Amino acid sequence: MLSYDYVKCNDLRLACQELEEGEQVYLLAGGTDLIVGMRGGKFSAKTLVDIKDVPELKVLEEDDRGITVGAAVTLNEAVVFAPIRDNVPILAEGCHSVGSYSIRNRATMAGNICNASPAADTAAPLYCLDALVNIKSSEGSRSMPIKDFFAGPGKTALNKGELVQSILIPRPYPEGKGVYLKASRTGSVDLATVGVAVQRWGEEVKIAIGAVAATPVRAFSVEKAINEKGEKNYADAARLVHDDISPITDLRGSREYRYHMVEVLVRRGLEQTLGV
Amino acid sequence: MADLKTVGTSVPRKDAIEKVTGSAEFIEDRYMGPMLYAKMKKSTVAHGKIKNIDTTRALKHPGVKAVLTGKEYPNRIGLYLIDRTFLAVDKVRFWGEPVAVVAAVTEKAAAEAVDLIEVEYEELPGVFDPREGMKPDAPIIHEDLANYEIVPIFYPEKGTNIANHFKVRKGDIDKGFAEADKIIERDYYVPQMQHVPIETHKAAVQWSLDGKLTVWSTAQSPNVVRQLLAKSLDMPMHKIRVISSYIGGGFGCKAGASIEGLLVPIAQKFPGHIVRIVFNREEDMQGTFTRQALYSKLKTGVKKDGRITALQYEMVWDGGAYTEYGVNIVRAAGYSSTGAYDIPNVKTDSYCVYTNNSIGGPVRGFGMCEMQWGIERQLEEIARELGMDPLEVRLINGMKKGSTTASGQVIHDLDYDKCLKVVADKIGWGKKEESRDGKYRGKGIAGLVKCPAQPSNAASSAMIRINEDGTAHVMIGATEMGQGMLTAISQIASEALHIPVDKIDIKVPDTDFTPYEWQSVGSRITYTCGTSVKRAAEDALGQIYRVAADLLETPQEDLSFDGKKVFSAKNPDLTATIREVADSCKKCTGEGIAGPIIGRGSFVPTNMTNLDPETGQGNPGLFYCFGATGVEVEVDPETGVVKILQLACSIDAGKAVNPQLCTAQLHGGTIMGLSTALYEEVRFDKGIMLNRNFTDYKIATIDNTPHMDSFIVETPETNGPYGARGIGEQPMIGVAPAIANAVSDALGVDFNTFPLTPERVWQAIKNKK
Repeated sequence: MLSYDYVKCNDLRLACQELEEGEQVYLLAGGTDLIVGMRGGKFSAKTLVDIKDVPELKVLEEDDRGITVGAAVTLNEAVVFAPIRDNVPILAEGCHSVGSYSIRNRATMAGNICNASPAADTAAPLYCLDALVNIKSSEGSRSMPIKDFFAGPGKTALNKGELVQSILIPRPYPEGKGVYLKASRTGSVDLATVGVAVQRWGEEVKIAIGAVAATPVRAFSVEKAINEKGEKNYADAARLVHDDISPITDLRGSREYRYHMVEVLVRRGLEQTLGV
Repeated sequence: MADLKTVGTSVPRKDAIEKVTGSAEFIEDRYMGPMLYAKMKKSTVAHGKIKNIDTTRALKHPGVKAVLTGKEYPNRIGLYLIDRTFLAVDKVRFWGEPVAVVAAVTEKAAAEAVDLIEVEYEELPGVFDPREGMKPDAPIIHEDLANYEIVPIFYPEKGTNIANHFKVRKGDIDKGFAEADKIIERDYYVPQMQHVPIETHKAAVQWSLDGKLTVWSTAQSPNVVRQLLAKSLDMPMHKIRVISSYIGGGFGCKAGASIEGLLVPIAQKFPGHIVRIVFNREEDMQGTFTRQALYSKLKTGVKKDGRITALQYEMVWDGGAYTEYGVNIVRAAGYSSTGAYDIPNVKTDSYCVYTNNSIGGPVRGFGMCEMQWGIERQLEEIARELGMDPLEVRLINGMKKGSTTASGQVIHDLDYDKCLKVVADKIGWGKKEESRDGKYRGKGIAGLVKCPAQPSNAASSAMIRINEDGTAHVMIGATEMGQGMLTAISQIASEALHIPVDKIDIKVPDTDFTPYEWQSVGSRITYTCGTSVKRAAEDALGQIYRVAADLLETPQEDLSFDGKKVFSAKNPDLTATIREVADSCKKCTGEGIAGPIIGRGSFVPTNMTNLDPETGQGNPGLFYCFGATGVEVEVDPETGVVKILQLACSIDAGKAVNPQLCTAQLHGGTIMGLSTALYEEVRFDKGIMLNRNFTDYKIATIDNTPHMDSFIVETPETNGPYGARGIGEQPMIGVAPAIANAVSDALGVDFNTFPLTPERVWQAIKNKK
């Protein structure tokens, strides 16, 4: 039985203050992971601070620095945002593969990374885009690369009193195609058994993979073979991914199947982005 | 039957507006009075002795009114084998078994108090595989099995975990195998699955100050709930009233009695209060019926020409911790064990075995999906061994008019060949599609049959009240859980009564006012309740004619009724409106003729018999409904993902009372089958259910739902109302084997189990290499 105090907060400063001063305070944006987690006993929240309508968190814009996605921007809003679709469609694909349409009406990109599931569908694309996470607290602001933000399953680099204000997809945008390929049990409304993002950057490629380690990981072995050694045999290159990952067996898939699927999806991603 | 007016038309659902607007009432929608909320404390071990239950802290928790334990529920309950108590007494037999119940003034207080109850267990070795459970040295789960009360058509084995051993001995099995040119033998396994109705189990109970018990329940059968409560509480039936609201889906999980009795002792302590329990999804998945897993060995003898001479089927069912209902699934699978095929020599042993897994029980198909999985897979293997077309093998052995079932029952009304052929034609059977883009294509077909699994005396009854204005109320005890029963039944009433369907009102049951119905299960209501309604309508119509004849002073035989007026075919001047007849009819002199018209009808099968205990021979089927499924798939051999390209299903409905609803049932059943074929499987670890919510128990969504082609075949059922037979469960049965047969065809690899998850398909391909 869920029981908590609910605070509706439209002021970013006050939201930070609540986080800093309160005990067991959780931020409610979409709530699609939070409420489910509370119900399942993963989080025990005394207070939920609803930040859906904090103006600074609703920012969704493109400027000289790149694309800024505020923490309260829903995945559906992000998916249809023209600068995302046009410049970094891989991220739109990642957003689109989370849950169902109705879930994406509430769920946010910031929430997806703050939940810090290694299987987060937006994470692998964000890794490939070298996204920056803008963090806010009463003390001030800081930002860090997405790869440093993920600290372990369910763990982020946020300190007490800090919240994610936005995610920045920095310029320059990648030149070339990017794809997010997800394997799951039903193909829709499901968590990733593995998720593979492959993004072409000119003649090079960046590859990130979800659900195969404690955090999303980059496939540096494969990237090195392609980018530095000029490997043209994508099947051979993809095989190297085994060195980059350490999947486990769970209800969604066995370790063995995950190794196999990552290899298949990396190869397909290379074929689709670099051309066969 | 060419001149049917209403039956055979797609009249809109009776409950459409209520359901679409959200105004239909379900249990939780209603405020019924001062409430108490119940929550259960559940076992944390799968098999163990209860050493101590400390409720002291829970009782002191603010808002808590009562905490009850198994001591207050000593009486056993059960539909066929009386092996259950509402709360565990002395020992627990599955993980999550309720050991105590808290009633409090809020749901929150009840939930908090549950956490304050401390239970001490002495864990016992568990049984998690029924094949292990059958062994002589297996831990015994029900020490008192030999003393349990049981309907005498089931055969528990004393001192073991075997709750029922059902046997079929038809023909001469040794001779059958001796005649065979080839013998094919294989093991199959079907895992547990869950029903996943959109509405979970709910019940509310009130004990009135004058000692009357009122129960609101999501139960599929208010009459069975009343009967079982009367027995377990030792109460007369007129003191128990069971009301069924609309039910948000049942699929078998709400058959029998489940949670109502748990609330009664609380209600008795607080007369006037309403004690309500609402299961959350996890409780529903874990604490209610699960489809029994099946471990089977199937051996078939076949001639070179494809004719099957012998079938030997050993089925070991995971009955779970209680098998009060499961024993009958095991029996039904036994007496149907040749599937849709006419096989002269049969030896079947179907065992229901207690384990420390979740309670096994009825699910759409009632054993047929599990049992016919083996049959329909083995036919594929037979066809391959003989180098024959799998469709041909099915047509050669398929049941025809005059065929006998495994139990020796002769079948008359069917066109199984047509069911197979329509789906085969639709998917382009025989035309092999080439693989493209590295993906492989394959086609598969599977047949199906099912009869209602019900006691031979399972009855139905109906009343029809004609109002003063000639409109009518149909009163029945069947429940509406989405299947469209209210609509189909009112169409049957309309047809027989000649009153238009929009002038007929029909409601969900209330045992104080509606007549007896055994259960809304087994795809039987259209047939059984439909027959009793037809009889009630004919009774009312007969009264209309008798009264009108008296009023018009003309022979009854000359009269016709068109729904508005009764008139003489011979003399057009002789006419009376239905109002004149129905409204306490009187002559022009003022002398009364007849009071209000009430039609009554009842039904009990007359074509069913008990089965011989040693041979299983006899007539267990009220009617047999046949059908088929055809599938074309595309398989990605790298990922193991199966894509459905074509899905066709057929059912021999006898007569589709409402073709649109019939098609909806075909679609619903086919998708439920597809979902089990590709995704659904309950996973246990030593009795602990691991995937008890939708994060990890996956069911098909709209994205996984392909276009379906459905075909209604109509071979009239001689004794069905207007030739109709029930079709609710059947469409599900053939889907899993048809899909597996298609995947097998595509890849040349075999599957003895499902779901065919991407990983399982990939593993099968890998193992073949």
